[in-house]
Amino acid sequence: MVKVEIVNGSIDFFPPDDNRRQDGAELVFNGRVRATEHGENIIALEYEQYDGMAETELTQLANETCKKFPIHDLFCNHRIGKVSVGETSLHVVIWSKHRKEGLEAMIWFISELKKRVPIWKWAILEDGTRIPSECKH
Amino acid sequence: MIQVKVKCFSQVKYALGTHELALELEIGTTTAELDKLIREKADGKLDGVSLRVAVNQKYVPEETVLDDGDEVAFIPPVQGG
Repeated sequence: MVKVEIVNGSIDFFPPDDNRRQDGAELVFNGRVRATEHGENIIALEYEQYDGMAETELTQLANETCKKFPIHDLFCNHRIGKVSVGETSLHVVIWSKHRKEGLEAMIWFISELKKRVPIWKWAILEDGTRIPSECKH
Repeated sequence: MIQVKVKCFSQVKYALGTHELALELEIGTTTAELDKLIREKADGKLDGVSLRVAVNQKYVPEETVLDDGDEVAFIPPVQGG
């Protein structure tokens, strides 16, 4: 099963699930905003989406990930709008029988997200200037 | 003639100075031809920028023929996460 949502505002984190009897791995990834961009201090990132297409692509990608890897569930929330330094912009949880397939699925999912989901970001400097954010790591 | 809506994001929005364009095009115009037109309108600001194209919110091949009422987006390198 997949659950995907793009939210404008703080993320509601998916809680740990103690009732899963077949999943030996519960993997949680939180992508957070760093305090520097191109060596300059920033106060936030501002995310922009292609409304509609971004959530559709993200849902398709989550479903593809569940087919490509033997995982059970993938939940993902992605923020848009202004996200301050230290806050979470991307929250992903994957449940799988073993850690290996879960870890591989997590890496593939996030790498593909950064190639195809139409979301962009700008870094906001301390003086309010906006510069393109080019982080692809 | 056909009418299409072009949605602009990130570098494309910056280069064209707008988030949306309404254009009238010849019947049979392809996305590749519209890409060229958009780059001309950007006056060099999109030179060297790789753009994928989406029609009606789905990625399509470069030579897709446009229909009346289509929503087109030229998608610069994405940066989610």
